[in-house]
Parts: sequence; structure tokens; C-alpha cells
Amino acid sequence: MAHVKRRMIKVALAGNPNVGKSVIFNNLTGAHQHVGNWPGKTVDKKEGFHRLDDKVIYIVDLPGTYSLTALSVEEMIARDYIIYEKPDVVVDIVDASNLERNLYLTMQLIELGANVIIALNKVDLAEKAGMKIDPRKLEEELGVPVIPTIAPKKKGMRELVEKIIELAEKRSKVHDGKMLRYESSVERFIEKLRGEIVSKKKLVKLFNPRWVAIRLLEGDEDVIKKLSEIEGGEEIVKKAAKLRKEMSAELGDPEVAIADARYAVIKSIVSRAVGELKRLTASDLLDNVLIDKYLGIPIFFVILWWWFQMAFIGSTPFCDILGDGFAALGEALTGLTGNPFLDYLFFGEYGIIQGIGVVLSFVPLIMFLYFILSLLEDSGYMARAAFVMEKAMRKMGLSGRTIIPMIMGFGCNVPAIYATRIIPEENDRMIAILTNPLMLCGARLIFFSAIAAAFFGTYAGDVLFSLYALGIILAFAVALILRKTLFRGAVSPFVLELPAYQKPSFKVAAIRMWDRGSMYLRKALGVILIGLLIIGILTATDAETFTFTTDPERSLVAALGRSLAPIFTPLNWDWRLIVAMIFGFVAKEIVLGASAMLYGAGEEEIASKLANLYNPIDMYGYMTFILIYIPCIVTIAAIRQETGSWKWTIFTVAYGLMLAYIINLLIVTLGHLILG
Amino acid sequence: MNHKNKPIYILASILSILYPLYGIIQFYRGAIAWWIPWIGGEGIQLGVRIGDAWIPNAFPDPFSGIILMIIGVIFARSIYLSRKNPELSDGFLFVGWILALLMLILNLVVLAADILDTYYPLLWGGEIEKTWTLESDPWGIAPHLILGIIATPIYWKIKHLLKQLIP
Repeated sequence: MAHVKRRMIKVALAGNPNVGKSVIFNNLTGAHQHVGNWPGKTVDKKEGFHRLDDKVIYIVDLPGTYSLTALSVEEMIARDYIIYEKPDVVVDIVDASNLERNLYLTMQLIELGANVIIALNKVDLAEKAGMKIDPRKLEEELGVPVIPTIAPKKKGMRELVEKIIELAEKRSKVHDGKMLRYESSVERFIEKLRGEIVSKKKLVKLFNPRWVAIRLLEGDEDVIKKLSEIEGGEEIVKKAAKLRKEMSAELGDPEVAIADARYAVIKSIVSRAVGELKRLTASDLLDNVLIDKYLGIPIFFVILWWWFQMAFIGSTPFCDILGDGFAALGEALTGLTGNPFLDYLFFGEYGIIQGIGVVLSFVPLIMFLYFILSLLEDSGYMARAAFVMEKAMRKMGLSGRTIIPMIMGFGCNVPAIYATRIIPEENDRMIAILTNPLMLCGARLIFFSAIAAAFFGTYAGDVLFSLYALGIILAFAVALILRKTLFRGAVSPFVLELPAYQKPSFKVAAIRMWDRGSMYLRKALGVILIGLLIIGILTATDAETFTFTTDPERSLVAALGRSLAPIFTPLNWDWRLIVAMIFGFVAKEIVLGASAMLYGAGEEEIASKLANLYNPIDMYGYMTFILIYIPCIVTIAAIRQETGSWKWTIFTVAYGLMLAYIINLLIVTLGHLILG
Repeated sequence: MNHKNKPIYILASILSILYPLYGIIQFYRGAIAWWIPWIGGEGIQLGVRIGDAWIPNAFPDPFSGIILMIIGVIFARSIYLSRKNPELSDGFLFVGWILALLMLILNLVVLAADILDTYYPLLWGGEIEKTWTLESDPWGIAPHLILGIIATPIYWKIKHLLKQLIP
């Protein structure tokens, strides 16, 4: 290996995901490849060799990225490799059928000063879509060599290798992006800062000055940090901050201004290098409708409504079958232990089997929801949904990037809160964290599904839909208030790449459904079981004598609920609802399991039992309370970890409780006033 | 609009009327059933009565009504664009057809789920509480199913787009 390294040419393969990078890597390296991990990361590192005559080329396959902004691990790996390992050549694999989007990365590679060759891949697909790309014109416009390729047919591979060798051997100094200049209003700031950087010899040795200038103006935290550790870097960082302020005042957000400038150059290049399109592609036509200014959001609501109806109604028989199964199991096991207390605790009318059974009987609903969500994600539609919601979110003080944790919050708030790390601006991120618990997670959905079915019958899907909508509206409202008060400032911009539409895979959807759905099974056998066991013991213990009782009205848990009754009387709750709500703090699924135990009802009877005690308005109010109040204990831990502050953790709990109470009170009061 | 496409655009025009029409009926019936019961007049239906069942059955549901209206607007937009820009018009026709298909599938899933929910106890020799009938089903054969079937021929107009996405 050491013998080979002395004479070899070092090449990095870069490109967007799904452009055929792996196919080109395999074509070039054949069997001479090795797969490992990037140091300290769990991202695959593929490296291999190609030999042509007496030349040996060492090839590294960089992770697929849409840009080099260092927002993700993949981007950081790709960027650092090019900066610090200084490959002789970077082969940028560009999807010819999606030229505009792919050239964004190309522009950043050229800015970086890399010695770039473009492998213009999928030219056959581009032609099929009616695009006639002139590679020579593209080469002229970008100032880098362009080799057309069709990777699966191994077309253009030899030409690519020959060009790599030619460029590596001719190489004299790093490209400075001389061919590409942005519009003068942006270029003025870049040049000003670049001039300052060039005067610092140590910086010039390490980085391309133009690239550093652009990244500093874009507010790249990683570059700022790295520069601050170098002699003379601190001064540049300060000057960059000043220029960034000036640029903000003149052009708006610098990151957006520079991204717009890049796209303006790309558009002009594409218009010159690509022949007139014969027709719009199916993808263009779909996007024209799905992200339409007026119809985009209504279509999103059509899809959401369809999703909930399909999941709720489609899963009903399976939920009922499971509910009946658990009821039969409880009955069959009665008397098994021979001990009246244990028998009552586990298999009785108010027993744990009853509680767990009710929770588990809603697992099919969760599975259906996740299955359909996976299909929608896979099809490429969810990215469009994020795009159409972005504008509305910005108006409400939420960063467009928040849409991703928000959608994740529909599954579980815990990973959603960790996902807010993709939001670079601190104020935006804090608002996203503090409002995420308002997203209706799968755990709450279990309770809502049961109650909605009991009280609203065939309209249960609509009721669920309204709760999702309420959660989103409240998140927007709270975000707006936070933005105007505690977290003032402008919302940071959002650049979203729209993936290509594709046929969703049922197999992938089934795997994801199982992965996400099985989490509830594990939870049911862990924290929920423990929670229900505690409630069971408290329900079977007499509050006065501390002995075994079969009358829940005399139990410790009833005493606990009654002690808080004065607070919740205006909401028309009895002690059982209070207790179920308190234990929901541990895990939201417990609210349903606890209700089943406290009312002594299984999946089948809980509907009629609750319907006899409450009216739909009171129950809808209770559901809104459960939607809004304290997040579960694991979510609270995640908020504490991500905000790094008890103050904001307590704030989230406190505002949630107050908001829940107010909304519940409003629904009950106005509901009874209007509907009687 | 070329001569060959005329029947499809006539069909799309019909759908751009029927979807909102049934949407309004559902919304009206739903609003009365849910929010303003004192107004009365919940019985409005537009269809054929077979026994006690209406085909299609515009069951009272304001949300469902809004959904049907939105689909109608998408078809209407495709008609509006058919002369100005037929290519863009095809995009709206395509999305309208996909949504019509999704609603058709939903109605079929609802019927299958309701039938299964009624008869599953028979799987282990249990007894059923009541039998399933078209008139007892809250959805029954709803506008979602009928209009979805009517929209089927649009497939031949947009199949080239579908083939581009799913080669």
C-alpha cells in the first residue's frame, strides 16, 4: 500500500444523493474497494483504486450531500475532506436530468477552490425528459471540464479517468472561482472581505480566501470557530460580522442573498447550456400544483384528512379484535393466582390486564398511521408539504426548518426535540423546542382514538383531525407570542431540497411501520406497565384502613383525585379523570390504560361507561387538556437536555398547564352556552 | 384544447361541478348535524334511493364536504387552464385524478372495515350483534366512491405522466 501511495492520484467523488455516485465508484474501482467508517462517525467511508497503464488512482466516495453548508455530518465530512485532505481532483457527479438543483453543490465546490471535474451523469434520462445539454457550453460557462456519462452502461468512464489524470498532472494551483462571479450587490461584500483575508498569510495557506469570505458572510459557525483558533483569524471574524450586518441591512439575510445569487448564476448557465425544453416533466407539473400558491395548503389538508380517515377507520376492526382478545384473556386468567388481592390487581375489572389491553388494542391504529405516513414520505410528498407550510410558519415566527421536527412530533416529541438541532439559529431553535410538545404525538393519539370513537362514532376521524389542527394552531400562536416577547429577532431562512417523486415501497413502509409501532409495544411492557401497577395498587388500597378494597370509590387513588377536585370542577371532571391526567405525566398512553382501570372497563365497554358519565363537549374539553398539558417525563428530560436550562423546562411545563386549563375551560363554557 | 381531448375535458368539467355540489351538501348536512341542529333540513340528498340507502350517500360531515370542494376546485382549475396552457392543465388534471382515486380507495377501505368489524366474531364462532347493511353503514356508497369511478377515464389522458414517475 505504501508503495502504491507514492505514485497515486487522490480523487474524491462528490455529488447529491441518488445521482449514481456509487455506480460510478463501483465502475471505477471494481473489486479493489474497501468499506469502513469515517473517523469518529457512523457514516460509511468507501475507498478503492483504479489503474490505467502505469497510473494508480486512489478514489474516495464522499457522502452524498446537496450542499457544503456543514449543517449535517455528511456535509461536514465532505467539506473537511476537500479542505484538509486536498484531493488532486474532485469529481462532482451531476444528475443531468436535474441540472439546476445539482449545480448548487458544484458552485460550492468551485468556491472551495477544488480542482473539479463534472461527470454529467444520466444524460440519457435528461434527453428522454426533453433536455438537450451542451457539455462544451457547460464547460465554458463553469470553467471546469465536463464529461457526459451513463453510469449503469459504463459510458464515459474511460474519458473520465483520462481527464482525471490530465487534470491531476497539469495541476498548478487551486482554482479560485475566477470564472464565477455573483451579482455585484453580493460580490461587493465578498470581495471586500476576501481582500482582508488575503492579507493574512496564515489563513491563505490553509483556506481558499474567496470561500472563507463567502462562508463568513453566510454566518458559518464551524468556519468562525476554526478561524478564531488561528492567528489573525479573530480579526477577520470581527470584520466579517460587521460586513454581515451591513449586508443584512442592505440585502436582507446574507445566507438567502448568497443562495439567491448562486441560483441566479446557475439559472443563467443552464439557460445557455441547455437547449429548449420540449415539455415540462411530470415532476414539474406535479410541483406546479402541489406547491401552488393558493392550492398547496388546501391539498395538504386533503392529504392529512385522507391519512387520518384511512388510518382510523381502516384499523377499527383490528383494534376491536385485539380489545376482545384482551377481555377474554382477563376473564380466562381470573382466579389464577389464588390470592384475591393479586387476582383483583391483575385480572379484575379494575386490573392491569384491562389497562394494558386497552393501550395495546390501539397499536393497530398507530401501525396504520405510520404505514401511510411512510408511504407519503417515500413518495416525496412530505417535502412538498414542508415547502408549502414554510411561508405560513415564517409568518408565525417559526423557522421553516421547524416543519421537520413538527412532523416528527406527530410520531413522538422526544426525537422531534432532538431533531431541532438542524435549526442553526438559537432563538428559532428555542421556539421550536418549546412549542413541539403541542404536536399531537402517537401516545396521546391512543387515548384520543378511544374517546373519539366512544363519543363521536363515525366522526371520530374528524375529531382527531380537529385535535391535530388545534395543536398546530396553538403551536403557531405560542411561537408568535414567544417571537414577539422572549425571543425577538428575525426568523432564519430555510433552503429546502425537494427530492424526486418516486413510487413508494410497501416493503420499506412496512419495516418503518414495525420499527415505529413496536416502540409502543416495548413501552407498554415497560413504563406503562409500571405506571398501571402503581395505579392498580392505589386503587386496591383503602384510603382509611390501608387494606385491600374492591371499591375504587374508597381507594387511595380516589382520595388523591378528590383532593384536587376543586381545581377541576369548573371543567366538569370527576376524580377518575384527574387521576388519569396526573399519571399521564409518566407516559401519555397511561391516560387511557388508567381510565380503563379506574372505570373498570375494557376496550369494548369504556365507550358506553364514559358516554354515560360525560357529554361530548366535556370530553372534547378533556381531550384538549390532554393534548396541551405537561409533556411526558421523557420529553421533559429531552427539553432540559436541549435547552440546557431548567428555567425553560419549567416554563414549558407551566405554560402548557395554564394553556390547557384555559382552552378546556373555554370549550366547556362556550360549548355549553352555544349547544346547551 | 385539441379535439381528441374534448371528452376528457367535458368529464373534468362535470367533475368540477359534482365534487363541489356533493361537498356543499355534505358540509350543509354536517354543519346542521354538528353545530346548528335547530335549523333542520338534514335530509337533503342528491342521488338514487335503493331501499333505505341513498346512492351516493352524502353523509353529514363538514370536513369531508370541504375536501370534496377542494377536489372540485382542482378540476375547475384544469378546465380554466385547458385553453391557456394545456400542459399545466394536465398537471391539475393529474392531481385531481390522484385525489379522486385516493377518495375512492378510502370509501372502499371504509366499507371493508365496517363489514369486517361487524362479522369478525364469526371467525371464532362468536355471535354478531347486528348485520351489516348498506343503509346502516355511515358512509355507504358515498360520493367519494361514485365520483372516483366517474373520474377513472382521466387515467388515459394522464398515463404518460404516471409512466414518467413510475417507469
